[in-house]
Amino acid sequence: MSIKRVLRILLKDFSVEPRKSFFIWALIMPFALTLLFQFAFGSLFEPKPRLGIVDQGNSVITTEVQELEGFEVLILTETDDLIDKVKQHDLDAGLILSADFDREVKAGEKPLLEFYISGESLASNRIIVSVTTIEIIRGLEDSEAPVEVETVYLGEPGLPLSIRLVPLIVFYALVMAGMWVPSSSLVEEKEKGTMTALLVTSVRISEVLLAKWLLGFIFATFLAAATLLLNQAFGPRPLEVMVVIILAAALTSMIGLLIGIYSKTATMLFTLIKSLGIFLFIPVVFYLFPEWPQWIAKFFPLYWIISPIWEVSIKGEPLSLVWFEMMIAAAITLGLIPLALLLKKRMLT
Amino acid sequence: MSSNISAGRLLIALIKKDIRVYSRNMIYLFLMVLGLAFFVAIYWLVPDQVEEDITFAITPPLATLISEGKETLLEHGVPEYMLEEIEEVEAAFKEEEGFLLVEVENEDILKKVIGRELDVYKTDQDQIIIHDPGGDKEIPAGASKIVPDIGMSFPSSFLSDTVLGHEKPTVTVFADAAVPEEIRGAMEALIREMAYQLAGKDLPVEMPDEETIILGQDRIGDQISMRAKMRPLIAFFILMMETFSLASLISNEVLQRTVTALLVTPVRTWHFLMAKTLFGTALAMGQAVIVLILVGAFSATNWLLLLVIVLLGSLLFTAVAMLVGASGKDFIGQLMYSMLFLIPLMIPSFAVLFPGTVATWVNLLPTYPIVRLLHDVTIYGIHWLDSINLMIYAALWTLAIYGAGLFVLKRKVAAL
Repeated sequence: MSIKRVLRILLKDFSVEPRKSFFIWALIMPFALTLLFQFAFGSLFEPKPRLGIVDQGNSVITTEVQELEGFEVLILTETDDLIDKVKQHDLDAGLILSADFDREVKAGEKPLLEFYISGESLASNRIIVSVTTIEIIRGLEDSEAPVEVETVYLGEPGLPLSIRLVPLIVFYALVMAGMWVPSSSLVEEKEKGTMTALLVTSVRISEVLLAKWLLGFIFATFLAAATLLLNQAFGPRPLEVMVVIILAAALTSMIGLLIGIYSKTATMLFTLIKSLGIFLFIPVVFYLFPEWPQWIAKFFPLYWIISPIWEVSIKGEPLSLVWFEMMIAAAITLGLIPLALLLKKRMLT
Repeated sequence: MSSNISAGRLLIALIKKDIRVYSRNMIYLFLMVLGLAFFVAIYWLVPDQVEEDITFAITPPLATLISEGKETLLEHGVPEYMLEEIEEVEAAFKEEEGFLLVEVENEDILKKVIGRELDVYKTDQDQIIIHDPGGDKEIPAGASKIVPDIGMSFPSSFLSDTVLGHEKPTVTVFADAAVPEEIRGAMEALIREMAYQLAGKDLPVEMPDEETIILGQDRIGDQISMRAKMRPLIAFFILMMETFSLASLISNEVLQRTVTALLVTPVRTWHFLMAKTLFGTALAMGQAVIVLILVGAFSATNWLLLLVIVLLGSLLFTAVAMLVGASGKDFIGQLMYSMLFLIPLMIPSFAVLFPGTVATWVNLLPTYPIVRLLHDVTIYGIHWLDSINLMIYAALWTLAIYGAGLFVLKRKVAAL
């Protein structure tokens, strides 16, 4: 095998591939997904209690509610609008504050609380919204609570949703770049006949395959790292994160290479990726729904890279914590090499 | 010379041709079966229960807290009839909907429970069992694990101190750091409110009746599960996925110029367009209906309405496939082009699945009324009258996109 020839093929691919649609698509998607998740689904998987307020005066309560953490607050002007939104469960609860509400509470006049709860709101959200609202109203009385409450935190703090979704985007970057790029590049060369032309020269099949794998590997590593950088998710151990990403890119590119070797046409490639995609994507679904039995996810190859990405880049754990997962991922990658060599004859047919 | 072949027969011939091409393509057939099996499997895998309780642990157990509190108050000469109010504390914790209470013997156990060093299980008979995962004792059969988020450690003199007002008691709240801020805040507020009530300080407002407060059907204990929410989405995704295969079919006809060959026969452009419309719509609709049957979405009252919605959705995605297919790109190009259309069209499905969480512009997307209708009919069982506005909205979008699809594909065919 000539490293020089491998590098030449790789350089040729790097000069040609970026002009192609799938390359551009793979490049754009992680960035587009980052934007989409941030703007459109800011609180998609972790819905907070949603409280709507119609403030007919200038109540202090409105300001205090807006400053609360963990609530989504919507200020409306029309009571009908508020009631509609509560009915349709676009809000968990709605509060209507009359113009004199604050004054009446302070004067001990006990005004009627115009408070509505959506029938579809979870019991937990109802309690949270009601108790918190009452506490804020109590604050108007200017009396001290007859109890002291001290809070002691145990364990690690939770992660915001924007960070929790990062492995999903990184996974997409790895799959798009690592699987799509080498496989579609190989298939295109087969379909257009350039592969045949290449193989009548001194270039060997294994050199072409190594170059294609490197193409996917470099691109996937770059894209996954850029995605983490974009989401500020490199954590406290950036070098260890890079090790995880490199291994993940190696595995996805190897899978992409195998798909490319096996597929004779673009249609076949698409079918394989789409059907395998379900199989490969399943660990991500389990990651998104942690309450599902997680052992099932371990049967799927990409679990072994998703888990280290989560632990090292998002949770900031050391590599030593995920050595077993990484060993499995490395073993799968190495185990696929003989399969690629076994299948390489398909390139000639 | 004029042709004696009727338009109907020409259409049937063209549709038969499309079916033959489609069925010969094992890839599409395979994907179709795989897609159907996958979505139905996912549906049955997704949980069908909703966890809506706040689980919390307290120490000392309520009975101990109340009996000790009563004893001290009696010693201080508080009349017995006044102590009945204290019993309400127990009711507030045990009978309030949305609370799942775990009572533990002491603060040390409480800390271990919140710190996940000890596990908590609930048996079929609602008995709570504290289990040491490192110990020898086995988990009771059929018991399910529960995870308290918050722990409250009350001083044994909490009730008497609060009622008598001699001393301000301190309650320690142990919170898992991952517990959301709003839950922790609410539980702290709950303790303060309980103390206010015990101290005889009534609410500063008059609370309305529960019937007045709850708007819409009260679904406490009967929340819509993720599985139920998946039902309309699966049908929607099946409709959407069919865009790929139909777009590819059209793209091939454009790329290989088979359409120009057809046009030298009595087939006219509109026959071609109509055949594609009928074939694409039937294909998408057929699969969506199969999926909806497999997930049990049809009922005696909603079947016709559901069929009309699925028909509109099928036509909408057929139109998208026409737009994509008219570009006459190669396979990969067409795939990327399809995704350019389909990703924005997918957004409303999340808006419906998680209401109130997405931007309002999502409501303007063409697929929004279709997803909303599928959701409302399969989950809330709405009828024709309630769905008329959304139906008109969906029909307008479908017609607009179908018109665009026809226009673009017709121009492409004419230009070949």
